[in-house]
Amino acid sequence: MSNDQRQAWFARMMESGLENDIFAPSDVLAHATPDVLASHLPAELLSKVLASSLAAGSMTPERVLETVTPELMAKHLPHDVLWQCIAAAAARAGVNKTVGS
Amino acid sequence: MNLKAFFVATLSSALDLGIASPDDVLRHVTPDVLAIHLPRPLWARLLTACVGAPRVDAQLVVETIGVPNLCEHIPAPIIWACIEELAARALGGVVIAPAVAPSSRPNAEATASVSRPIPLPTPPPPAELRATPPTPIAVGPSIPSPLSASEGDGDPSRSRVPPSQRFRQSATNSGIGRLATSSARRPQAQAAPAPPPPEPVAAAPLPRVKRGQTESDYDLETFVGGKDDWKNALAVEDEQLVDWSAADETVTHAEELRPKR
Repeated sequence: MSNDQRQAWFARMMESGLENDIFAPSDVLAHATPDVLASHLPAELLSKVLASSLAAGSMTPERVLETVTPELMAKHLPHDVLWQCIAAAAARAGVNKTVGS
Repeated sequence: MNLKAFFVATLSSALDLGIASPDDVLRHVTPDVLAIHLPRPLWARLLTACVGAPRVDAQLVVETIGVPNLCEHIPAPIIWACIEELAARALGGVVIAPAVAPSSRPNAEATASVSRPIPLPTPPPPAELRATPPTPIAVGPSIPSPLSASEGDGDPSRSRVPPSQRFRQSATNSGIGRLATSSARRPQAQAAPAPPPPEPVAAAPLPRVKRGQTESDYDLETFVGGKDDWKNALAVEDEQLVDWSAADETVTHAEELRPKR
């Protein structure tokens, strides 16, 4: 499994999770905290986030994720952080119960 | 929240990207799970595909059912368990076999550890099958099973009864029964009584291998006791010869075979 494949998969999972309301942008930022973002996002991306927020007058999770797209998240953020976000959403949905097939 | 759509996207992309293989899916979505949760029309489609396929493997099953159908009918915890395992493997950095082209099947060596023939379970018959009208089947005469009561009872202690005489013993010595009136076999090509065993075989001992001489020297030719034994073995009486010239069906002249002009 190459890193590109894993990266694409996590990007797709994040995108689908947001599209299907499995988790919200706020849930993403609950795991991808400002510390995480600051530690892993490249400088130009941090700059864009700040610039868009300044232009809008506020920095909301939705606006952050407009800039930091799922592809960029999967590219720059640790995948275990993204997975924690997904797994927490699955736990809230109640799908990770023990299966007694 | 559209959980199934999320599952479809996650699982489909994992399969497309080579993150997951169909074997990974079937490790969780086992045949037992399919038997319980998959609707009968999808089972029919799956069975049809399996019957017509030269090889039944996990890829065939997953492709035939389709990821959307799997995520639609299989309980979410099972799909999630599959995704969870894939993520654990992805995060753990475990290297798996490189992805193959979607159209190509994994070869047997590459998937020997995880891919095995998937025995399709017997579809649970009960209520739904009773509702469908039975298909008329041509019924022939009752043919006993090869494993009849004498052999098929599974008792190994019972000895096998030797087959009885196939030909009816006839006191009149007529019909086919005459063939079995004596233990001697019907003479084949020899009308005359068989000559006594050739004495030269018994009388003439096989030459022994001497020092400096190998056994292969004698293996090159079959040792025959006497030169004329083969003539005696093939001796045919005059009565057994067929007069071909007197037979009606025999074509004696090649002229008859030529096309007439």
